[in-house]
Amino acid sequence: MIPPRFDYVAPASLDEAIAILHAEGEEAKVLSGGQSLLPLLKLRLAAPRVLVDINRIPGLDRLDEADGALRIGALVRESDVEASTTIHAHYPLLADTAAVVADPLVRNRATICGNIAHADPANDHPATLLALRAVVVARGPAGERTIPIDDFFTGLFATALRPDEIVTEIRVPAPPPRSGGAYLKLERKVGDFATAAVAAQLTLADDGTIARAGIGLTNVGPTPIRARQAEARLTGQRPDDAVLADAARLAAADAQPVADRRGSADYKRDLVRVLAFRALRRAVERAGG
Amino acid sequence: MRPEELRGRQAAGAVPPEELDRLVQREFAVIGARLRRVDGVAKVTGRAVYTDDLTFPGMLHGKILRSPHPHARIVSIDASEALALPGVHAVVTGRDMPVPYGIIPWTRDEYPLCVDRVRYIGDGVAAVAAVDEETANRALGLIRVEYEPLHAFLEPEEALDPPAGAEPIHAPTKPGRNGNVTKHVHLEFGDVDAELAASDVVVEGEYFFEGTTHTAIEPHCAIGYYDPTGKLTVWSATQVPHYLQRELARVLDLDVARVRVVQPAVGGAFGGKSEPFDLEFCVAKLAMATGRPVKILYTREEVFYAHRGRHPMKMRHRLGASADGRLRAVDAQTLIDGGAYASFGLVTTYYSGQLLTAPYRFGSYRFDSTRVYTNKPACGPKRGHGSVQPRFALEVQLDKLAERLGVDPIELRRRNFLGADTRTINELRVQSNGFLMCLEAVERASGWKERFRRLPYGRGLGVAGSCYISGTNYPIYPNAMPQSAAQIQLERSGRVTVFTGASEIGQGSDSVPAYIVAEELGVPLDYVRVVSADTDLVPVDLGAYSSRETLMMGNAVLDAARKLRKRVVASMARVWEIPPERVALVGGWALDRTDPERRVPISEAFNIAEAEHGALGATGSYDTPKDVHGAYRGGTIGASPAYSFTAHVAEVEVEPETGVVRVERIWVAHDCGRALNPVLVEGQIEGSTYMGFAEALMEAQVFKGPEQGRAGLHNAPSLLDYRIPTSVDTPELHALIVESVDPEGPYGAKEAGEGPLHSSIPAIANAIFDAVGVRLDALPFSPPAVWRALQDPAARARWEATHGARRAEVAAD
Repeated sequence: MIPPRFDYVAPASLDEAIAILHAEGEEAKVLSGGQSLLPLLKLRLAAPRVLVDINRIPGLDRLDEADGALRIGALVRESDVEASTTIHAHYPLLADTAAVVADPLVRNRATICGNIAHADPANDHPATLLALRAVVVARGPAGERTIPIDDFFTGLFATALRPDEIVTEIRVPAPPPRSGGAYLKLERKVGDFATAAVAAQLTLADDGTIARAGIGLTNVGPTPIRARQAEARLTGQRPDDAVLADAARLAAADAQPVADRRGSADYKRDLVRVLAFRALRRAVERAGG
Repeated sequence: MRPEELRGRQAAGAVPPEELDRLVQREFAVIGARLRRVDGVAKVTGRAVYTDDLTFPGMLHGKILRSPHPHARIVSIDASEALALPGVHAVVTGRDMPVPYGIIPWTRDEYPLCVDRVRYIGDGVAAVAAVDEETANRALGLIRVEYEPLHAFLEPEEALDPPAGAEPIHAPTKPGRNGNVTKHVHLEFGDVDAELAASDVVVEGEYFFEGTTHTAIEPHCAIGYYDPTGKLTVWSATQVPHYLQRELARVLDLDVARVRVVQPAVGGAFGGKSEPFDLEFCVAKLAMATGRPVKILYTREEVFYAHRGRHPMKMRHRLGASADGRLRAVDAQTLIDGGAYASFGLVTTYYSGQLLTAPYRFGSYRFDSTRVYTNKPACGPKRGHGSVQPRFALEVQLDKLAERLGVDPIELRRRNFLGADTRTINELRVQSNGFLMCLEAVERASGWKERFRRLPYGRGLGVAGSCYISGTNYPIYPNAMPQSAAQIQLERSGRVTVFTGASEIGQGSDSVPAYIVAEELGVPLDYVRVVSADTDLVPVDLGAYSSRETLMMGNAVLDAARKLRKRVVASMARVWEIPPERVALVGGWALDRTDPERRVPISEAFNIAEAEHGALGATGSYDTPKDVHGAYRGGTIGASPAYSFTAHVAEVEVEPETGVVRVERIWVAHDCGRALNPVLVEGQIEGSTYMGFAEALMEAQVFKGPEQGRAGLHNAPSLLDYRIPTSVDTPELHALIVESVDPEGPYGAKEAGEGPLHSSIPAIANAIFDAVGVRLDALPFSPPAVWRALQDPAARARWEATHGARRAEVAAD
């Protein structure tokens, strides 16, 4: 349980950090909360030559709404999200998610940006941010660019980020009135990765039909999955139980689970159906439907 | 300072006179009170010293190279490159220690490091001592081992019936035998076939208990030092210092008088540290090779390989009963997956049958148990050794029988109660037996009568009962000496030091001697110092296994304490010119019972006694009854001085859509004979019940199969993947103490550390049936397993039928 030897740098500015990443290439890893990186080092599944600790870089911890979006900086911790009244009021899906990531000690350090940059399909925020149609802001030597969340996850533990880019911010479009979301996760024990989890985000139109739906699935495929068939089934419909059940079935069809210690593929697929229905119901309630 | 100058301060620390009057009237002043552990403050403030906390000047760090093959011949080992690495001091291999060892003298089949064959992925092949762990790890990578892979046996059925040409895991003990079989036991009491034929109801079932491991928070750790005079000292996180001392001497060919084993504070063991392990021999041998202290600390991964945890068991049970529910026959067939080495397996094989015969009376009984070797880490004793698995099968069988007969399962158990002061069908002597009180306690506390079979769909209650041993009548190596001994020394200050070989592993065996001494000699609890588990300093106790410490060490301490008490009382009686019965030693005082105003601080009483008798010290010992077991072969195994009894009621909520079982609460009543300190007894009851709950719902020590590649590789050797419940996952536990006062125990005490695990598991299984109408006959009851069972379209109808029947019965009342 001792990590392999590594160098450690703690740059004071983003430019400095990016310069180091640029020079080291694949040999460097960014350390923010260390939620995934430290276990990987201790289990010797990863052996980067240098860790670039970004915790001393000022300005990366903003968590506020501006220009119609919620800004989540690279050093915003899960516990910050859990404690934020703005998030509880307007982004209940994010609050749900932060509350079920690992355990409270880890949540005091773990960051939301790190959670997606690691691109583990078992991580919780990827599905949530897919449902919320978030935008990822990345900075590299050539400057800043934005990546729609749909284009961000490119494979198992793989993202659209270049080795010398850092996720500096996640932007979540502010939900219109009559929106609501929920995240439901089944875990083998408290603090575990999900056996499966479903994130749902709905906006209701004035006539009570569903104007917009977002559904993300956790740990039922090589990447986090957006359940597009299910979203399409909901759009324009009244959110009654029959429609939600239908959408839940389609979400299960969108899942690509494989059998492992957490259960058979059949079990996980049915679990997606059950959790999707419950998450949608809760989202409708929270949207005031 | 003269003694009388100390008097004022001592009196100030003793019990005040007004309380003293009450204490003198009570049966016990200390026993039965809610007390602190003597090591509690040190542990919760981080001052307790564990083996890995120890460090010595010049100490080297060792690492063990482990086999990547489940079964292979070692063709050659070349350590020259490793030895050439700067910072490496020594490398040892199996050829340096070619003496087999094993905790059971008849099945020594293991080497400190493999000599010519590896038998599981993780088996030790070579050990390195270097200046630090990193260098030692690098050196491991430089050792070249050439292997010739052999057929690997991963399933017990295949090991039992090996394919032609496949080499068995061990050489057969006799020509013509299958070397993959550790032990086969077949015993029959009464005529089972005739009783089954005559039974009104026969219940048959197949059960599977998945392997689980101990997950003590402290990994195994040992330090060896061989001093220039030729004396070996090993500090180790062990629960059997005495056996370790003997095996170190035997394997390393040393005079046992020149081997010292010290057990520092241990961070949990649960049976996982109850035999010698490779690291203990390796630190000793490396210390002898280098002349320096050498430490090895297992990684968490290595702890999973060392294992010795719960055996997977496949059990086929038949149970015959008369129409009124009396048990006429129990017929059990068990296949035990032992892993690569014997460990305690001979005992496990017997226990899988022998310990099932209480708390119910069987009309006839037969068991046929076979333990086979497989190419996986060796199984061994985990809390409730050998009997947790068959207990699960039997108690579910009883629940099925109750259902078939339409009898309340608690009532069914009452009807079959074994009784007290009796013998079981396999001739184990049972004296005290509080099982009926246990049943009544959980029945009342859980609201059973109003709620069983009457809760809404998805909620249920289940009951189960069990028994366990308080130590074994026969030690692991045959000898006629006491099983436990203690020595007590009284200081002039009033302080008392107790020397005991007992092994504190968190269960409280450093505290029990203090309570006993405080009770007998009347000293304040904090005047007692307990020195334990250092073979240079203390008399022999065989260690912390089979729940033996409180009964055996307790009796040894009591024996010594009473000898001293007699001397002190006699001196005071003489001084006060009263009969000895009138002298009380209590609360820091010696006093006259009929005239409590006449009293002296206890230290003064000790001084008077020392003046009369000379130095105040005494030894005490305890040995087990040796004539109370069946005369048949194996009849001694399972024989114990006293048996504890337990009943559990579990309440569950099952979510049919996801298969999630939430155990809401468990009521557990345990007959511990007498609770010397109820706080410790409740801790053991809760801890055991928790551990059973964990095995019921989530634990699984499992390995990759051929289809996953790397066959035989542990599937989850970390606490990220091997699941144990957190406090948030744990149900409400209600521990209820039942005291039956056993004639064999100190003040009547029996065990409490293992018994209350057993029935936790079947109580949960039976509660799931009450909740949703499905039987879970294989562990663990994970959400996918429960979900699969609930796909049975008849399940709901079964639930309706059982609950409808109960409703009809209620209506008829």
